[in-house]
Amino acid sequence: MLTYIVRRLLWMLVVLLLISFLTFLMFSKLPSADPVSLRAGRNATPELRASIRHTFGLDKPFFEQYRIYLAKLVPFDAHSGFKPPDFGYSYQNNVSVKAQILDRLPATAGLALGGMVVWLLIGIPVGIISAIRRGRIEDRVAMGGALVAISAPVYWLGLVALYLFSKDIGVIQIFDGAGSYPNTGSLFNSPFTVAPTLFLPWLVLAASFAAIYARFLRGNLLEVMAEDYVRTARAKGLPERTVIFRHGVRSAITPIVTILGLDLGILLGGAILTESVFNIPGIGRLAFDSIQKSDLPTIQGTVIMGAFFIIALNLVVDVVYAFLDPRVRY
Amino acid sequence: MTRTPQRVAMLAAFFALALFVAACGSSSNNTSGVKSSAGQKIPQGKQGGDVTVLSAGDVDYMDPGQMYYTFGYMIGYSVNRPLYSFKPDNATKPVPDIAASEPQISSDQKSITIKLRTGVKFSPPVNREVQCKDIKYAMSRVFSANVPNPYATGYFGTIQGAPKTPAKGIPSIPGIQCPDPTTLVLKLTQPKAATVAAALVMPLTMPVPEEYAKPFDAKNPSTYDTHVAFTGPYMVKNDAKGNLTGWKRAKSIELVRNPNWDKSTDYRPAYLDAIHVDEGNADSTVASRRILNGSHLIQGDGAPPAPVLKQAATRFKNQLVLVPAGGTRYVAMNTKIKPFDNVNVRRAVFAIFDRNAMRLTRGGPIVGDIAWRYIPPGIPGFDEAGGLNPPTDPSLDFAANPAGDPAVAKKYMLLAKQQGVPVTADGKYAGKEKLLTIATNADPGKKSAEVAANQFEKLGFKLNFREVTQDALYTKFCGVPKAQVAICPNVGFFKDFVDPESFINPTFNGEAILPANNTNWPQLDDPSINKAIDAAAILAPGKQRDEAFAKIDLDITKLAPAVPWLWDKTPLIESKDVQGVADNYSTVWHLSFTSDK
Repeated sequence: MLTYIVRRLLWMLVVLLLISFLTFLMFSKLPSADPVSLRAGRNATPELRASIRHTFGLDKPFFEQYRIYLAKLVPFDAHSGFKPPDFGYSYQNNVSVKAQILDRLPATAGLALGGMVVWLLIGIPVGIISAIRRGRIEDRVAMGGALVAISAPVYWLGLVALYLFSKDIGVIQIFDGAGSYPNTGSLFNSPFTVAPTLFLPWLVLAASFAAIYARFLRGNLLEVMAEDYVRTARAKGLPERTVIFRHGVRSAITPIVTILGLDLGILLGGAILTESVFNIPGIGRLAFDSIQKSDLPTIQGTVIMGAFFIIALNLVVDVVYAFLDPRVRY
Repeated sequence: MTRTPQRVAMLAAFFALALFVAACGSSSNNTSGVKSSAGQKIPQGKQGGDVTVLSAGDVDYMDPGQMYYTFGYMIGYSVNRPLYSFKPDNATKPVPDIAASEPQISSDQKSITIKLRTGVKFSPPVNREVQCKDIKYAMSRVFSANVPNPYATGYFGTIQGAPKTPAKGIPSIPGIQCPDPTTLVLKLTQPKAATVAAALVMPLTMPVPEEYAKPFDAKNPSTYDTHVAFTGPYMVKNDAKGNLTGWKRAKSIELVRNPNWDKSTDYRPAYLDAIHVDEGNADSTVASRRILNGSHLIQGDGAPPAPVLKQAATRFKNQLVLVPAGGTRYVAMNTKIKPFDNVNVRRAVFAIFDRNAMRLTRGGPIVGDIAWRYIPPGIPGFDEAGGLNPPTDPSLDFAANPAGDPAVAKKYMLLAKQQGVPVTADGKYAGKEKLLTIATNADPGKKSAEVAANQFEKLGFKLNFREVTQDALYTKFCGVPKAQVAICPNVGFFKDFVDPESFINPTFNGEAILPANNTNWPQLDDPSINKAIDAAAILAPGKQRDEAFAKIDLDITKLAPAVPWLWDKTPLIESKDVQGVADNYSTVWHLSFTSDK
């Protein structure tokens, strides 16, 4: 197991290196706005532009710029050993990228974790009920609803939810503070104050995930319930509830752990659409804003953070999977 | 089958309902009675309370030496005071702010003397009175590489000893002098005191205390941006060391009262006790609806989208104000690229243009007046060139019809044919080349560009139409002559200060063409125009100068380097319980005059 984890960690570094290079290449070479011109303003002289270009090292050759970036990013130093990674300095916001990401991380984490709880609370029971009531009205309603939730784009669902339920512009004004969430980041400090304002984005974020999980669990559970060992359990006279939960759901739910890890990793990298619609100052919105402003260091920082979360949680999931399913060995 | 009639009836009822809803949605287009900020009287406000500003983005900088963005000005001019500024009821004549009186200009136009007000103090942690040395330092630091300022060289480069290139460290500029703590003297190398005096409203004249700012300015880039010392009625919440704790980049700004502000030294009433800025409201529809339906909210950057604006103009008239933006939008044709190097081709394009259709893409008459030349309303020279009246000069017949005039267009195309341009007998362009057209990829600019492309196609031009972001449009294409863009349908120029030179010089003077960040988008380089601009620039403020620029404006229009189509009005919205006062200079809400109802 230890060898496996070490190997995966090394692969993780390789993947992050590759992603950092591709991001650097894409935003340096593809046609986007010139960050120097954006920072310099419309009446800037050529000398001022050259000065800004020099200040941010943008006058250096491409590979030299990348080498400098990488040297700062890698958390090791030949002289001093371990050092905190430096994601660079934002051209547009005049602040270090790391400070921006750390500032935004609590908001994104609060949104993602809260959303995850909601979609698990909805998706798992709906999946189980659908499977055990297969073909009946409950199943049809649940799967029909799931189809709608999967088909509805998050940004559309978010806007509709705002118009229907937000406190200031909604038809049925029930969700206080909906429309702007400057304090989302303080969810972990004052959960009882902030959490109620987050119900609407949590529900919107969770809608499609809950639907996917419900369908996924339903399919798995139907398959498992047709297995021989389930028939044996029933034949032994076990109560139906025990058959379903101890033998059926326990097996059917294991693959959910895999996709849950990946989904959470993706969301921790920034739920761009949800954050944009609800004005949640998280990593996703930071990425969106920095792409609009061609703020390369911030774009790189958010992409690498997103990639890190996905790869790290994938690894965690694989390790957890081995504990959940004794058949899995590395 | 027996239920078919019922289904038909239900379907009919559904369509009837749909028609009713559609009719309700389009029933009213009556936008009369909407308030305009032009000539507004400043209302008495209620002391106390607070408002929240909803904005999509953040300010560019808090540092007055770097600030150069409308929304930055909205905050910047409520927390800091320049030498001169504009009251909300007069956008053409600045009043002394940190200055105590009008600037005294020497007869040779090479020296400006400004007396400073006493009793103005910096906010904590500086806590001392503003002196001449603080303005001197503020105006010197913007020539440093550590404090990149986009307009310092352009507007203040004639000050004696001002560096031509960004200096290492803070330069000592001999042309900025302080004979005593309350007198500032600017010595110029050229007789351009009128332009420099007009530019003293710019934020780089806001005082900066050297002893406090120097350590921050020693860094490249300067970190004074997050440690500003304030002189206005409000300040960004800070800690004992001056760190701006109330500014969370791209998230929020907390403005509180500046305890060192003395009302007797200022014309601003500053009714509100606190101002919150809530950023990230990227969906303008949601943000606008929140403002109109909500409480204690006003608009920051951005503008209501056309459907919400229409709704505001009919249902929320008292919550909408239209502010003349002091800007002109136009479609630029590259005069260095064939066939637009021919003046008659350009006049034909101008003639065919349906400028009314262009305006409809942004929302119709409510968004502004149809333009036919380049200096906009509210800027000296506008009235002298004819005001809002259509042109009467026969040589400007191509600009007379806002809906476009095919007959006039044909006349000019046939004239171009005589000069060797490939044109068919019915006045259509016969060249085969595809003209590179760079348009913005976001509405409403995208729609305007599509309508503009259609106007060119009416005359037979073939376009290579490409869409990019608005930023890339300026920084990679239209602002870079090397990019060889033939048509830029989404360009425009808005005022920096109230002087016609700032509209004409960077945009149509051939000597101002730059390899990057170029704002002479048509690349017009006409020796007689260049000479006239240079001559008018050194005239003293007054009738002669205004008339000179008005004539230049008309002369440029006759060369048709671009098709002007809109003199913008900026719509500002507020909640019903807010008494907003528009700032005609920055075309945003004036936070120091706005109050709760």
